[in-house]
Amino acid sequence: MELLPQALIDGILLGGIYITIAVAFSLTYGVMHVIDFAVGEWIMFGAFAGYYLNKLTGLDPFILLPAVFLIFALVGYLVQPVIHRVMSGNRGNPLLMGLVFTFALALMFQGVALTVFGFYTNSIPSTFSEGSILIEKLGLSMTIPTIRLAGLCYALGITAMLHYLLKKTTFGLGVRALAQHKDAAGLMGVNGKRTGAYVYAIYVGISAMTGVLIGCIFSVSAQMGAQYTIFAFFVVVLAGMGYLAGVPWAALLLGMVQSIFLIYFDPGHTLLAVFAILYTILLISPKGLFGRGV
Amino acid sequence: MKGLNFRWAILLLAILLALPTFVHDTFVLRVITEGIMWIGLAVAFDVIAGYTGYLNFGHGAFFGLGAYTVAILMMRGNWPFALALPAGGVVAAIAAFIAGLPTLRLKGPYFAIATWALARAIQQLALMMDITGGPDGMRLPALLNPQFFYYLMFGVVAVTFTLLWYLLERAPFGLKLKAIREDDLGAKALGLNPTKLKMQSFVLSSIPTGILGGIYAYWITFIDPASTLGDMISDQALVMVVFGGMGTLLGPVIGAIVIFSFKTLFWAYLSDYQVLYLIILGALIALSVVFMPNGLWGTYLGKRATRRKEKESTGEYIDLRVAQKEGE
Repeated sequence: MELLPQALIDGILLGGIYITIAVAFSLTYGVMHVIDFAVGEWIMFGAFAGYYLNKLTGLDPFILLPAVFLIFALVGYLVQPVIHRVMSGNRGNPLLMGLVFTFALALMFQGVALTVFGFYTNSIPSTFSEGSILIEKLGLSMTIPTIRLAGLCYALGITAMLHYLLKKTTFGLGVRALAQHKDAAGLMGVNGKRTGAYVYAIYVGISAMTGVLIGCIFSVSAQMGAQYTIFAFFVVVLAGMGYLAGVPWAALLLGMVQSIFLIYFDPGHTLLAVFAILYTILLISPKGLFGRGV
Repeated sequence: MKGLNFRWAILLLAILLALPTFVHDTFVLRVITEGIMWIGLAVAFDVIAGYTGYLNFGHGAFFGLGAYTVAILMMRGNWPFALALPAGGVVAAIAAFIAGLPTLRLKGPYFAIATWALARAIQQLALMMDITGGPDGMRLPALLNPQFFYYLMFGVVAVTFTLLWYLLERAPFGLKLKAIREDDLGAKALGLNPTKLKMQSFVLSSIPTGILGGIYAYWITFIDPASTLGDMISDQALVMVVFGGMGTLLGPVIGAIVIFSFKTLFWAYLSDYQVLYLIILGALIALSVVFMPNGLWGTYLGKRATRRKEKESTGEYIDLRVAQKEGE
């Protein structure tokens, strides 16, 4: 029982990171109606970008975040038209084709990463990575690593910004309209193609930034992507596909599951536990925990 | 036209049956056997992906399940191969049923994700359990009879192909699946039960996959989670189907032959650049999706159809007698 508060705290800190991955991922699904299998690979590329930029400039990775965002947003902006092309026009089964295409992207990215970066594991040094806060109250002791706290702050900041963008701006209104009904939004003057490109750019940028953070907290390797793809899927399915408000809770739950397995059980079983939960949720409530998914 | 196809099929069958009598090089026979296995895997993959419109990224997991079932039953349970092999197919079918139960009621993306995650979970399980030998994998007794494996593999694939050809191209089952692929709701309105049909198609696709996995295990005599349960098998099956042509029976066969020949050449001459293979696979899928969404065979069929239409509309080849003959 002594470890339980620590496990819960770890879970919240971990879940915070998953929120940023899954919010952007869910948003992209809502607007473009395609599951991006390359989400983990964007995270991986972002982490490597942070690693090399840090080596080059010597700046703290947290200062580099905006630069990473801009680079990857540009990349996403350039990639999206291809996905749009695959999914539109006179083709049979556009959704299937979109899925196949992002899967192909993920394969290619992984191949490129393994070729360029090799099989090594690195980590990004940050000024936050040293310290930690020790809390001793009511006979319980908990440690909170500063870097993870910084990560949580970053996650909350990103979520707040996305919330503002979606609920308070005209652009956000267009995005929400597109998620509701693609054709009707088009008739109301929302440029689906351009909005889709912007959303995809934002999503890729956020994923890459989160990658830098993951690189600081955990490690950077060319094979790290697949794991985060699974986590992103897990959170989004649990929250209900395309239902943004459910994402934070689902992400926190995933963080809890992971930290509890890390402390009480064999960490090797985490993936199995995640899958078992996913299966049960899909069986009982296929539209997510809140029954609000698409 | 139909008679011609039939004649070609008989000729091909005769050539393939007689092949081991004039190919004495074991290596060549081995390559051909593996090629036939890939044809079977690609065709089975196409049942659920091409005809039904549901991407199964866990295709390799069913292959691995078949392989592991045969290996475990033979090594731990001392079953004979002839009994263990059908068991491999049964286990794959049961796994497909369990995996399909929650996911096939839902939209395609859920299914794609769930099967992908399932494949990883099964691989993880095989890495951790004792009965599977963990990361070291399992060794099976070697049966040094390449002809036996050639005929077995060929027999299973030929039976699978013929059965699928009948079910998908001749029986109403294929049309029902296509109706679901085009419009789930519309199919329901026609009185079809999409969930049940999707389940049948998924199980139908997994059985030959499991059996081929079982043969593979006994043939290669060594299986481990990385090679048998890894992503590579699903990825390659996907490339073959997309490149050859989704939703047709001959497309995956053509795709399998082309991609497998390429793979063999690649591993023979460029095995130092293993990761490059991943990039090429990804690029091939991406390029075919963008520029050739119907695949090689689908594009050819489309071109032939438009050419015929053009000829008919210009009045060049309108000959009623011929048309009547064709109709018979």
